[in-house]
Amino acid sequence: MKPDAVRVLQGVSLSLLTQVLPEVATPFGQQTTSVAAGLAAMVGEEFDRAADRLVAENGAVRTILRDAMPLLAADLQASVTRALGTSAAGYRVSALQAENDALRGALVDVHAAIGAIDSDAARAIDGRIWEELVESTRRREWTMRIT
Amino acid sequence: MEEPLTRYLRARIPDAEDVTVSDLSRIPGGASRETWMFEASWTSAGERTTTPLIVRKDPPASLLDTDREVEYAFYSSFYGTRVPVPRMCWLEADATILGGPFFIMERIVGCENNTRVILAPPYSALQPQLAREMYEILAAIATFDWHGSAIESVCRVPTADSAWRDELEHWEAIIDEEELSPQPVIRATIRWLRAHPPRPAQRVSVVHGDYRVGNFLYRDDGHIHGILDWEMAHLGDPLEDLAWSFNQSWQWARDGRPGGIVERDEAVRIWEAASGLTADAASLHWWELFTDVKCQGIWLKGARAFQEGKTSEIFLALVAYSLVNTQDQSALRAMGKMS
Repeated sequence: MKPDAVRVLQGVSLSLLTQVLPEVATPFGQQTTSVAAGLAAMVGEEFDRAADRLVAENGAVRTILRDAMPLLAADLQASVTRALGTSAAGYRVSALQAENDALRGALVDVHAAIGAIDSDAARAIDGRIWEELVESTRRREWTMRIT
Repeated sequence: MEEPLTRYLRARIPDAEDVTVSDLSRIPGGASRETWMFEASWTSAGERTTTPLIVRKDPPASLLDTDREVEYAFYSSFYGTRVPVPRMCWLEADATILGGPFFIMERIVGCENNTRVILAPPYSALQPQLAREMYEILAAIATFDWHGSAIESVCRVPTADSAWRDELEHWEAIIDEEELSPQPVIRATIRWLRAHPPRPAQRVSVVHGDYRVGNFLYRDDGHIHGILDWEMAHLGDPLEDLAWSFNQSWQWARDGRPGGIVERDEAVRIWEAASGLTADAASLHWWELFTDVKCQGIWLKGARAFQEGKTSEIFLALVAYSLVNTQDQSALRAMGKMS
């Protein structure tokens, strides 16, 4: 058993702040050391949650896109269908992120189109997209304190 | 860098002998240009002179791609006015001398610009005075007559009607080019802004472009002694600067107060009284929301530069990790979509 990545990066961060920073003489060096410490801590948190966040978000966006489909013009339906056909092969974060990019790119187009439609169904989808956008930012909030 | 700087100064200062550069050190921050301070000494007509100077050099990649000639013109135009700025010395476009174009200016000594220091004693007691001066100087920038100055020769001049559209299109184009992943929140923000334009600008003014706590020099005498970082300066709607100073990214005390030093309404009141201009509420709201778009353009540009290996300045990666999401949340709150 080895220390997990989150703990390793926490250790890197703490080491930089408590052991290295006091030894750094210049303000520029001190700032760079502090930035490295903060970044290591954030990357650690992201390492642990990225796949879970992306799987959850990709599922949520897929559902909205599918439900919006009947309201869309034919050309947009075609591009959304292509986006829905994108699926990560495996659970590498880079693959899940590529799927997320395709789906969120389609979401941008659908949001713009839906906003121009005057119907209750469109307004309902619009509301769900805004909810998803808010939720997407909550998924990305840091639980660690960033200094 | 001491040697090329010394050679440069020797060529630039007439009759200078025994030119030396000492105490060269990089100043933290400065995500758009590398900023270095140093002491330059030389002998002329038998007299030894020592001057504290600053060199601002273009890095290989940064948060911004701006023309140092434009920044130099703004500094030069405001020198000797109500708006305190350091005196410009030399502008150099030859990238071979220091590894990038640069300019050299005098250093205003004995000042702070730290965003945490201003929150703590003794400066916390001086915040009302510093805030008053901050927004009075901003009013002076807004009402500055730029016609016939160096600014006019380096800037595109918008109309009162086009100022908002020009800025929105400029930053939208940057996001188009720089985003590493789709940005649905900021795209929705841009659509909202386009659908709800502000009133035409009351005047076409100088816009500093990055006016906030952190970009001015202050002392414990309670005065501001230098307005810095003019790299995003342009001509436009003066409300842009006022709104920018309110953005949550520089609410350093995390208490909703601009810069952590003043209540928003008080800042508006000072600015209106000093400028004679009006901060129309709906228009100011538009410009505040716009600042989220502009910030996002800056953060995304830095993120791409780092991702593509154009730079290994880890500050750019930190900005992407720490600010892109909070900027989205700021925009969602401003549009009433998030509490």
